[in-house]
Amino acid sequence: MNIWKISIQNLKTKPLYTILSIFSLSLSIALLLGIQQLKSSFTHQMEHNLGGIDLVVGAKGSPLQLVLSSVLHLDNPTGNISYKEAKKLEKNRMIKSVVPISYGDNHKGFRIVGTTAEFVALYNAVLQKGEKVKKSMQVILGATVAERLKLDLGDTFLSSHGLIENDIDVHEDVLTVVGILKPTRKVIDRLIITNLESIWDVHNHEVSEEKSHEHESQVSHEDGEHHEHDDHDSGNDQNQVEHKNHHEEIDKEITSLLISFRNPMGLLTFPRKINESTNMQAALPKFEIDRLFEYTGIGFTTISWIAYLILLISGMTIFISLYKMVKERAYDLALLRSYGANNFQLIKMVAYEAIIIASLAFVSGCLFIKVGFKIIFNFMNSSYKKHMLLELTLNEILSTGFLVLVMILLSVALAIYPIIKMNISTILSHEK
Amino acid sequence: MIQTNNLTFQYTKGESTLSFPNIDLKAQENLLILGKSGIGKTTLLHLLGGLLKPTSGQIYVEEVSLDSLSSNKLDIFRGQHIGFVFQKKHAVQSLSVIDNLKARLMFSKKEVLIEGVEVLLEQLGLLDYKNSRITALSEGQLQRLGIALAVVHQPKIILADEPTSSLDDENCTIVMELLLGQAKKTNANLIVITHDQRVKPFFSNTITL
Repeated sequence: MNIWKISIQNLKTKPLYTILSIFSLSLSIALLLGIQQLKSSFTHQMEHNLGGIDLVVGAKGSPLQLVLSSVLHLDNPTGNISYKEAKKLEKNRMIKSVVPISYGDNHKGFRIVGTTAEFVALYNAVLQKGEKVKKSMQVILGATVAERLKLDLGDTFLSSHGLIENDIDVHEDVLTVVGILKPTRKVIDRLIITNLESIWDVHNHEVSEEKSHEHESQVSHEDGEHHEHDDHDSGNDQNQVEHKNHHEEIDKEITSLLISFRNPMGLLTFPRKINESTNMQAALPKFEIDRLFEYTGIGFTTISWIAYLILLISGMTIFISLYKMVKERAYDLALLRSYGANNFQLIKMVAYEAIIIASLAFVSGCLFIKVGFKIIFNFMNSSYKKHMLLELTLNEILSTGFLVLVMILLSVALAIYPIIKMNISTILSHEK
Repeated sequence: MIQTNNLTFQYTKGESTLSFPNIDLKAQENLLILGKSGIGKTTLLHLLGGLLKPTSGQIYVEEVSLDSLSSNKLDIFRGQHIGFVFQKKHAVQSLSVIDNLKARLMFSKKEVLIEGVEVLLEQLGLLDYKNSRITALSEGQLQRLGIALAVVHQPKIILADEPTSSLDDENCTIVMELLLGQAKKTNANLIVITHDQRVKPFFSNTITL
């Protein structure tokens, strides 16, 4: 026999009180851990997806929108910029690398990004299988896209215009999967990557067709040049040459440029230069993300405070329960004093009960949050998003545990007052 | 061995002071303290057991002055050398019969083999109920458990507070015989306080308050 065993027996004799206490405290802990997990995942996602991108150059508009669309691939782009103009920036000696991106299409809601081979390196992504994009209309898939759409090497699909899934505005050009990336837990997992030519081909093709129709309505059908584009899917050399001619004819556009500098000096002068002397806009991802944190931070802080409040209420509930228990069991405690137990041993007994409740609640809270997220993601049919969820570190879990322990010990400290003030003789004299 | 000297007690200042006759019990001597309700019988018992501190006077148990012991040492002394039998509610409700006895031994810091505990339970007719919850026991069984809890750690003094007041004549005799028998076995002093006159024949040494 020891004090732990007595505490366990005490809890066993009041199963309803014990279960309710564990349940209410575990819910608070789950809420706290959940918010912490979401917050750290959000921060991690934001910061990791910046990769080595120091600056984004795109069409004028909202800088936050430019960063969200070009770096995090969340929002609509601000517009297009001339590739020719953008290419001029590459010559600046402060710039280490420039990655152009161009998009405007999707497949089943996943964005198709036209870019260069360097884009994949920004996210340290590597091929799981297949090969890099070598020619127009070839794509490599992010891990989540491949998993969700069940696409494999050699599979083909059509892209839809715009960034939202639709079956109305579907392009005729067939895209072929040539590679699949390993999971990175970054935004690239959710992207379909191709080269810039694919995007230009799909869109310039349509422009050409429109021009061709306009031309047809004005002149006779002597020149059959435009009709040949109808079979560009065949991918023959003649077509490729013709496409190149189109790209030269029509000023090529991209959505934005992702720039890395050789040193931080570039950040000081380059954005201002672009904003003042060109019709393009330069946005600093880190600055814009920090700004975004300021907005979202208020939400996280509010929810965190609500969770702390719930934890405090749970703590008060446990204190009231312990206090009530000490009062109700005053005779038993006095009896134990007559057995030779001292006040400290009785306090230990109450503290052990609280610690048992808190420990079980903590384990349940951790399980709740694990199972809870799984159920929520399954319910939302977005199981792939759970890959974006960052596991809490041991330190984060332990700091929450420490907070709960402090709260429990505080509850115990307040609840044991009747024990300290206990008059054994009076209690034993008033037995009923 | 127990000795008191000019013992008085006052619950709160301004209230009347209770004065108690001197007690001087040699080893294995028993004492019956009779008195009406409210006269201070339980107060005297709690003073002798170290549950209350006297306003004045001294109590010596086994030649140790209870007054000289610190609170912590008094708890240990009580746990090791004194056994209480209460009128009702003899045991901790959340523990089983055997666990109550184990808890009693744990707090008294006395090494008693479980076989010894089981022998005691058998003597008191409780062995079949050793794993029973306290709430499952009858009044008579509870009274016997109270005796077991008072003697399991082989104390020097057994203090019994109205041990028979709620019992019929037959059970009154059984309980008194058990108490006297256990006191004799453990060489302890038995002090019973009661207003129950049926107990008188069991004692040669009586004080009336």
